[in-house]
Amino acid sequence: MTSSRRPATSPAGRVAARGTGGRGSPVPFLLPALLIVFAVLIFPIVFSFVVSMFDWPLSAGGGARVFVGVDNYKALVRDLEFWNSLKLQLGFIFIAIPLEILLGLAAALLLNREFQGGKVVRALILLPVFFLPVVSGMTWRFMLQPRYGALNNFLLALGAPEITWLGHPTFAYAAVIVQDIWRMWPFVFMLLYAGLAGIPTDVLEAAEIDGATFWKRLLRVILPLMYPTILTALLLRIIDALRIFSEVYVMTEGGPGMATTLFSLYTHRQAFGYMKVGMSSAMAIFLLVISIAFAVTLVRKNMSLERLEDQGGSR
Amino acid sequence: MKTRIRLFALVSLAIAISVVGLSCAPKKEVAKAMEPRSINVLLWDDPYPKALAEMLPEFTKATNITVNIEMLQPPQVLTKTAVSVTDTATDYDVVGIDEGNVPVFASLLLPFDQWAKGTVYPKTDPASITPKMYSIGTWNGVQLGVPINGNLYVWMTRKDLIENPTYRSQFKAKHGYDLGVPKTFKELLEMGTFFYENDIAAGFGPFNGGPAGVLSEAVFMWESFGTKFIDYTGGTFKVVLDEGKAVEGMEFYKKLMAISPKGAETMAHVERQAAFAADPKGVFSMFIWPAQIAAYEDPAKSLVAGKIAYSAPPAGPRGQAAVTGAWAIAIPKASKNKEAAAEFVYWWSSKAIADRLVQANTIPARTESLTDPAYASSKPQLAALAESMKVAASRPRFKEIGQVQDVVKKYWVQGITGAMPAKDAIQMIVKETNDILKKAGY
Amino acid sequence: MTMANRRKTITGAVMLFAALLLLIELYPIFITLLNGFRRDIVILSGQKFALSQLTLDSYALVFKNSQMMRAMGNSIVVGLFSTALSVGVGAMAAYGISRFKFRGRNALAYSFLVFRMLPQMSLVVALYMMFRQVGLRDTVFGITLAHSSFNVPYVIWMLIPFFTAVDKSYEEAAMVDGCTRWALFRLVFLPLVAPGLVVAAVFAFINSWNEFLYALILTGVKARTAPVAISSLIGGDTLTWGQMCAASTVMLTPVFVFTLAMQKFLIRGVAAGGVKG
Repeated sequence: MTSSRRPATSPAGRVAARGTGGRGSPVPFLLPALLIVFAVLIFPIVFSFVVSMFDWPLSAGGGARVFVGVDNYKALVRDLEFWNSLKLQLGFIFIAIPLEILLGLAAALLLNREFQGGKVVRALILLPVFFLPVVSGMTWRFMLQPRYGALNNFLLALGAPEITWLGHPTFAYAAVIVQDIWRMWPFVFMLLYAGLAGIPTDVLEAAEIDGATFWKRLLRVILPLMYPTILTALLLRIIDALRIFSEVYVMTEGGPGMATTLFSLYTHRQAFGYMKVGMSSAMAIFLLVISIAFAVTLVRKNMSLERLEDQGGSR
Repeated sequence: MKTRIRLFALVSLAIAISVVGLSCAPKKEVAKAMEPRSINVLLWDDPYPKALAEMLPEFTKATNITVNIEMLQPPQVLTKTAVSVTDTATDYDVVGIDEGNVPVFASLLLPFDQWAKGTVYPKTDPASITPKMYSIGTWNGVQLGVPINGNLYVWMTRKDLIENPTYRSQFKAKHGYDLGVPKTFKELLEMGTFFYENDIAAGFGPFNGGPAGVLSEAVFMWESFGTKFIDYTGGTFKVVLDEGKAVEGMEFYKKLMAISPKGAETMAHVERQAAFAADPKGVFSMFIWPAQIAAYEDPAKSLVAGKIAYSAPPAGPRGQAAVTGAWAIAIPKASKNKEAAAEFVYWWSSKAIADRLVQANTIPARTESLTDPAYASSKPQLAALAESMKVAASRPRFKEIGQVQDVVKKYWVQGITGAMPAKDAIQMIVKETNDILKKAGY
Repeated sequence: MTMANRRKTITGAVMLFAALLLLIELYPIFITLLNGFRRDIVILSGQKFALSQLTLDSYALVFKNSQMMRAMGNSIVVGLFSTALSVGVGAMAAYGISRFKFRGRNALAYSFLVFRMLPQMSLVVALYMMFRQVGLRDTVFGITLAHSSFNVPYVIWMLIPFFTAVDKSYEEAAMVDGCTRWALFRLVFLPLVAPGLVVAAVFAFINSWNEFLYALILTGVKARTAPVAISSLIGGDTLTWGQMCAASTVMLTPVFVFTLAMQKFLIRGVAAGGVKG
């Protein structure tokens, strides 16, 4: 533990860390956000909940909407494609995001020093984050084409077999994941690099002089200090990964077969391919339940406000 | 806090329910604007509506109606139509509807016989529409829209390849007949294999893009091998696919896949265009939607402009088929500018405009323009189109077509790539399509 | 080997690594940039690069396309407004959550997070119906509001660590001076968390700039944003590869310049909010 990270876990310290909390009303500060979030987020969610209990064809008049209770949910549970899409989505998250964090962390550690052109390198690395997802998907689709695809030709030169990458279930899924890693790891890098830059150099140097090996320093000093930043990156990435859509849609349309039909793509297909808004809403509510479970378990344990305050307020 | 959360949830629920109720309840007709001046139009994005958009100022001048055209890719047109056209409100006064989706939106569209008479342009005469295209604008015997383009399979063959003397003599020596535009599947396969094996060009360009496109290829094969997919008989939809013939069709397509360019299993329009028109070797022969001919004949995008022979698709062992894929132009019941909307459609489908659309390398669905001898020499695709019209075949249409398309695509692609035996693939298509039809209550 | 020598070797290795990393990472962007200056036929026939291929045709077409230009203008306006709105509102909420003690504040913070997780697909139909009822469909304000729906929770979660990090002594001193809560927020806290505001602004802007589905459904010709306009260059039947590359290069430029200019704040900003030494 470093001196500047003095634990403030005593009850008194904790209260103090919250400042003058308690006096005055937070309502005026919360109200605008609540209004916006209620109007454009919570209302649609509640609406979705209601719709999820209807057989609601998108393309027909109001008369065609029939209340069906939990039938949509029952149909969903029996739908193999639904479970498949959920599996693919979770797999996507579990494979892509740890790799993004690892890459981002490694690059942040390596580039966390002054060298010529360092600023330019760090700025250029961020470019993919600004690349429109639709265009990114299309570019990857073309790079992977046999004959004229640049990436395909590169892989051939490395000795890879001739494969239509996007025509093969496993490779197409891998390609979708690689595309996301390519586009989003710089986002993680940006967050982690900044977190690393925030660790006082004396802390790092002290450990170095102590003769600790790199791995020891990493495990004992750097990682614990960066814990909240890594968690923030993880959280923000998971949130975005759950909504991934246009890049995958453009790249593979969910195919071949259903091999890249992630949860979000399947929701889209139910609503706009099959015109079953009720089913698509039921899927959304299902995801909402998972998200809540995720939030109250993992997030609550690791990122409660009190914990943040312990780490921040005691400076 | 708990009670507050509960209250909050209750209020949200109440609001949501009331909005659902409101949107379900029929609304009173709002008084019509006195002089409709502006209409919103939703169309698909291809050279045809683009050519039309350039002529709009003339329409506005003649009628004082401003037309705001929004053009999107076909799947997005479907999405937007589905969301923004309901029985009580619509953002668009005119919508383009892909033929397969006419049943999906049927209940929301104004039947053609209720369209107002035009004040400047006469009402479209249904008899002026190419007969094979007429039915795509109808559902359950009611005409709901005006079929506007004559889009159906036309066959493209590389003229420069079949006219090359060396290839001609080599081919004749081997097969005993002349190279030419393939008229049968046997010729297609033999000629294609010849070019493929001698590394001159790919033999065939398959289409494995979106579900609707894959269904067209499947229907093309099945019809050519003498079986229909789904038929409307006895007041209901039934899968009538003959397993043996369907498997034959799939096996034949598999042979075509073997002489196709690499990456054939993911070839959508973009990749096909790249393979046929931009690749130095190119492709010997494949189908094209006439809507895209403009791009293939554009020297800025195509190495084979002016080198393409157009014809009807080759005939299979038990039939010949040109699958239709056209758009109908319809007016939503909820439109508040029905007269102006109708006026626009009448203008669009008039002879004068159709003629100019033909000159822009696009294909209107108006018989007189398509058969006008004035264009016979400069637009070789028109004669081919007329031939294709004779063997036009349509994909099945009903509300649940979206699900059926997905099933067909899933197993068709597995079948033709060898990931699944053709017999199993066909059986799965039949089984899962039957499940969908049963669930839908047919 | 001396320490200094070792350092030099490490720096050299790092530079090599950085160059390699950039080469791989920027390759797709590089070909996009390049293809914006090449004709479709050249791109698709897989020809090797030659100087003679370069042309400005695609750019000319993009700049002549009035709908595309309008969409890019809309994208900038919507991006800026939605960023301003969500950062303003989000900062207030983050302050409210982190500097007041009230029951259920954890629950409140999580609910912002949870609601942000839902796929837009499932919200867009409801949003569309609502927007049509109140006349917000196809308006710049409407799409700005829609983008704020996912940006506000994002901003709140990015800013909470910044607000919790502010030392209580600032607050107490100001309170003694008789500051109101509002003045305290505006005069004391906002300047202190300014780096955080910049970070949140950059991320919010990116989110809005890249957003596709809301823009597709909730706008028409008037308020359409650039991702929708660009997607009409590449999908289904049409193939205008050069124009797509040109348009996306044009799209990339302002955000990149903006972020480059903000980089100093950005790095400092994230650092202040992330890890405390």
